[in-house]
Amino acid sequence: MSTATEVQMLNVQIDGVWLQFPKGTRVIEACKQAAKFIPHYCYHEKLTSPGNCRMCLVEMGMPKMTPDRKPVIGADGKPEIGWIPRPQISCAQDVAEGMGIRTSSPMVEECRKGVMEFLLINHPLDCPICDQAGECKLQEYSVEVGQGESRFLDHKVKKPKNVELGPRVTLDAERCILCTRCIRFMKEVAKDDCIGIVERGSYNSIACHPDKPLVSNYSLNTVDICPVGALTSTDFRFKMRVWFLKEAKTIDVNCGTGANITIGSRENVIYRITPRDNDDVNGCWLPDSHRLNFKYVGDERRLKAPMVKGEPVEWRTAIAIAAEMLKAHSTASTALIASARATNEELWLTRRLIDELEIDKQHDVIPRIGEPDGMLVAADRNPNTTGAKLLDLCTNRPGYRLKKIADGVRNGSIKALVCLGEDATKAGLTEDDLKKLDALIVMDILPNKTTAHATVLLPASAWCEKRGSMINVKGRLQRLNKAVNAPGQARDDWEILRDLIQAVSGSNGLYLIEDVFKQMAAKVKEFANLSLSKIGDLGVQLLDEKKEEEAAK
Amino acid sequence: MFFHIPAELLAQIDEAITHYPVSRRSASLPLLHLWQEHFGFISDESIKWIAAKLELEPIHILELVTFYPMFRRVPAGKRHIRVCRTLSCQLAGSYALRDAVAQAAGIDLTKWQEDSAHHANPEHGNPVAVSADGKYSVEFVECLASCGSAPVAMVDDLFKENIDINEAASLLKLEKSDATLPKVLPPHARERRLVFKNIDVAGYTNDLACYLKHGGYAELKKALTMTPDAIVNEVKTSGLRGRGGAGFPCGVKWSFIKRGGPKPTYLICNADESEPGTFKDRYIVHQDPHQLIEGMVISCFAVDAKLAYIYIRGEFPEGARIVEKALAEARAKGFLGKNILGSGFDCEIYVHRGAGAYICGEETGLIESLEGKRAYPRIKPPYFPAVLGLYMCPTIVNNVETLCDVKHIIAMGGAEFAKIGKPNNTGTRILCVSGDVVKPGYYEVEVGSLTMGELIYDVCGGLKEGRTLKAVIPGGSSAKVLKAGETYKVKDKTLTLEDIPMDFDTIAACGSMAGSGGVIVMDDSRGMVECLNNINEFYAHESCGQCTPCREGALWMKKITERILDGGGTERDPDMLVKIGDNIAGKTICAFGEACSWPTQSFVAKFRDEFTAKSTKESPPPMPPEYTSEELIANEKIESIPAPRGNGHEVMAPAATR
Ligand SMILES: Cc1cc2nc3c(=O)[nH]c(=O)nc-3n(C[C@H](O)[C@H](O)[C@H](O)COP(=O)(O)O)c2cc1C
Ligand code: SF4
Ligand code: SF4
Ligand code: FES
Ligand code: FES
Repeated sequence: MSTATEVQMLNVQIDGVWLQFPKGTRVIEACKQAAKFIPHYCYHEKLTSPGNCRMCLVEMGMPKMTPDRKPVIGADGKPEIGWIPRPQISCAQDVAEGMGIRTSSPMVEECRKGVMEFLLINHPLDCPICDQAGECKLQEYSVEVGQGESRFLDHKVKKPKNVELGPRVTLDAERCILCTRCIRFMKEVAKDDCIGIVERGSYNSIACHPDKPLVSNYSLNTVDICPVGALTSTDFRFKMRVWFLKEAKTIDVNCGTGANITIGSRENVIYRITPRDNDDVNGCWLPDSHRLNFKYVGDERRLKAPMVKGEPVEWRTAIAIAAEMLKAHSTASTALIASARATNEELWLTRRLIDELEIDKQHDVIPRIGEPDGMLVAADRNPNTTGAKLLDLCTNRPGYRLKKIADGVRNGSIKALVCLGEDATKAGLTEDDLKKLDALIVMDILPNKTTAHATVLLPASAWCEKRGSMINVKGRLQRLNKAVNAPGQARDDWEILRDLIQAVSGSNGLYLIEDVFKQMAAKVKEFANLSLSKIGDLGVQLLDEKKEEEAAK
Repeated sequence: MFFHIPAELLAQIDEAITHYPVSRRSASLPLLHLWQEHFGFISDESIKWIAAKLELEPIHILELVTFYPMFRRVPAGKRHIRVCRTLSCQLAGSYALRDAVAQAAGIDLTKWQEDSAHHANPEHGNPVAVSADGKYSVEFVECLASCGSAPVAMVDDLFKENIDINEAASLLKLEKSDATLPKVLPPHARERRLVFKNIDVAGYTNDLACYLKHGGYAELKKALTMTPDAIVNEVKTSGLRGRGGAGFPCGVKWSFIKRGGPKPTYLICNADESEPGTFKDRYIVHQDPHQLIEGMVISCFAVDAKLAYIYIRGEFPEGARIVEKALAEARAKGFLGKNILGSGFDCEIYVHRGAGAYICGEETGLIESLEGKRAYPRIKPPYFPAVLGLYMCPTIVNNVETLCDVKHIIAMGGAEFAKIGKPNNTGTRILCVSGDVVKPGYYEVEVGSLTMGELIYDVCGGLKEGRTLKAVIPGGSSAKVLKAGETYKVKDKTLTLEDIPMDFDTIAACGSMAGSGGVIVMDDSRGMVECLNNINEFYAHESCGQCTPCREGALWMKKITERILDGGGTERDPDMLVKIGDNIAGKTICAFGEACSWPTQSFVAKFRDEFTAKSTKESPPPMPPEYTSEELIANEKIESIPAPRGNGHEVMAPAATR
């Protein structure tokens, strides 16, 4: 990084202590950095500041100036501050040289108490049935700065409740504090200016026009940023109290963006997926399509036991039979279809299996290309195409060899096919084609047309049931983490692959997934000096972002 | 589509859009007005049509229709009567007037009141109550800026003042408007007429010929020979302070504009005149529009604005037409448009109508409204109009009277103007007196040249027979009330209420403000709880609802004063009222926060005995039950879109009938 454009540092006094902040720092952010948290509702760092909730009022001052515009220096050698008599909001102004801020004076505390009281007088106080309970800023701040007893003796304003703003978001206007975060998000980030305020004054209510509901694929982000329980996810509504949820930090696998997410689960059941902040990937947003696509993980039909020709067997037996079948076929009559949804570790072991079986250019992954939305949904709907390319599971044109493989199966030159996490009927093969095979070794999580014809079926784990790493479309290496356990006897994919390699070629000394990464890092230079733990929660930039973006085009 | 749009209306719509070369969205309010004038109301279909026409989302138009009370989502009666509800008119009997009109029109108001009480999603306004035969409808509206001739009403677009309650029925058949009716009263001897020189003068008409005959546009010619800097300097020298309420020095405001910057500069005339008690701009607009236009063109030249708007309140439909006609006349004669009087200076002015929202008078709320949005005032910093105003460009907002003063400053020179009035309080001011005086009305005087006592007793003929002075609001309803018998310490002198000279600084030193010049007088027959409740209802109705303290607090204060009036006052209510006011003032986005809390703070502090006498209950009256948890979980659907306008909220029982 060049230091040519050095940022100017400004001296700011916060609660009596002089500190330095770069020019352009919001007052509220400066206070946060100084460990002085200022309660706020409408301010959101990714959105414009309307300054409407008035929760972030602080005392503010500027240096006193002499008539010739020089700061007056006090007895302590520091500039003297002339305090503005009225409280000022801290969310809409940047720090300035010599500025003074008081975040916890009697005046500031009075302001916060006053605003809290105003916010609660017309609030239904229905916390016992509110989904937001536990992560509600209204609850939180009212305990911290509010005044307990209600002094409101009159009728509350009645507003619409249980309103479907769109197919996935429900509004309770009585709980809404009119901070306009949802409106600004839709306008400024999602670029679909569909939420507004109707009525006036105390009767103000959030609404969509009935002909233009909140249908955006980003609608659920409004639920995340709503500081109270006014907007709730129709899917999650009334299902679970948030404080019971166990959280796992992982990444999304619905496209090549690799949005960072948190999975909330309880007793091995996933209840919701929410975005996790990562400014290098998804900011703090997540498309609805991605966050709601987890129901299949808990599907009743999940593959739970290894099978050989439709009969359940023990794992040992299944692996041994698979290895035997593969060894029985010549290199030329064996093909392998891997998945660009697999982790790097799985792909590395797959690569090793290909090498052990000496499969020559009869392997590939199945590409998935869709419409990019210009925001977070990438055209590549596979999460790890970059990893698949890097580890040589496909050419630079994923899917290029699939036709050759399909033709081979069809004309009988290929007799053994390994399908790892993919349905071969999506690669140009028909069920009749599959019936011609002597050996169809399939590893997957749910039944499909290919598993139906598997000679050996190996039940594996879904993305949220395992650890590993992936590389997104911009070349960033990120980590998957385990949120829930795989059902029945289903096993972690990398263990199945390790056992298969072992059965084909003998012991390989891999006991932990860390060992797999280590082995991969020793062989593939891009991974050199890295480990799963070094990737961290936010990932590392592995490849040149520009080049990857170019290549993706 | 269920409607047919005649070619003529379409042409008007397309023409209106051309008035906003920067943003089509700005044409939202004009289109809604045109639509309602033609079809009588704004249907759901029309919301979509207008949105499409302006390339907006339908929610953008729905937001406006529900914000601005003049727009209706259901038809009104064939004749629609708007009776002013606010303080000066209430003092003159407007509640009884409204009831009498309703009775004459065959409207059962109790039915509308009951409906509104049961309405799940009350709209914020007073209901439009329609007669069964659909012929008439009555609506209570807020101050119509004619408090000196209270009670007043509008019948469709026609304006009627000094209404005799016994003749309420005649309103239904009203044919002639009083809006331009000259009252032909000779100025009082204490007056000095400058801006109002031609107002209410026999034979003076609002057309260009008459204006020219009286020496019109001579100052424009003179100004065009000066440099813009020289004009700004004259205005600075004159000491002119804004007449819109805040009293900010006009020349200083203008000098914030950096001429020749990359962005254009705009000038906006604030003709929203809605502060209760204020009724001065209306006369200029209706009777002497060319004076305003001349002042504006000079001001535009001084600040290098080539595009200007006159934001006129929606309740001045005749005024808007008069100004539009005057603009056309001026344009035709080269006082406006391209190359004005051969000077090379281009300037265009358009009229923009509001739609019944007081907050549009606040300059940044006005700017948002002019941009076609809800009139939500902007935070300052960073959105100071002189830097980030209309369309985020430098913008000057000035009151009608201020802009007219500019013309007189050019005529006599800044130094001469500064000699009128007092230092730092220069020029003349139009004082608007309403309430319990014998001769309410407007009086243009040199600033500070007479005292409150002289104003009330000499100029306005004193109080009514047998009455004594109780209280005065000196600068529009948001100014803190002054109590008869109080004394004020000002610069070592002790002043009584009657001694206060009517200038900016002394009134401020007495703890109130000269504000907009609206003086509301209350005599000893008036209950202060009732007066405050009227004011509180105004502010609760007019809060834009953007920021928490004002949105929640303004209505809360009104609920308490209403409950006290209804006999449900508790011992802690008076203190509570003051505390709510304290929690609003100084903590809001715009000065409406002060405007709505100062009346409560001052009324309760100064007339505490009246409040405590009515606040004797130990506990509050019982409340209706809240929803149960089961009711809330049951997926009952409550409409997301408010029901069409037509039902009011809560009780609209008139204070006067209690
Ligand atoms: C709530 C509120 C209402 C206002 N209403 C008006 C108004 O109706 N007319 C007006 O000229 N100024 C009004 N003002 C003052 C304007 O914000 C602004 O100060 C004024 O138009 C500037 O013009 P001036 O400098 O010529 O006075 C209002 C201010 C507030 C806070
Ligand atoms: S619904 Fe939530 S995010 Fe939207 S304005 Fe209300 S409180 Fe704010
Ligand atoms: S103070 Fe009142 S009127 Fe002003 S922005 Fe806030 S809510 Fe709106
Ligand atoms: S956070 Fe600053 S006003 Fe809302
Ligand atoms: S016109 Fe009725 S109070 Fe002003």
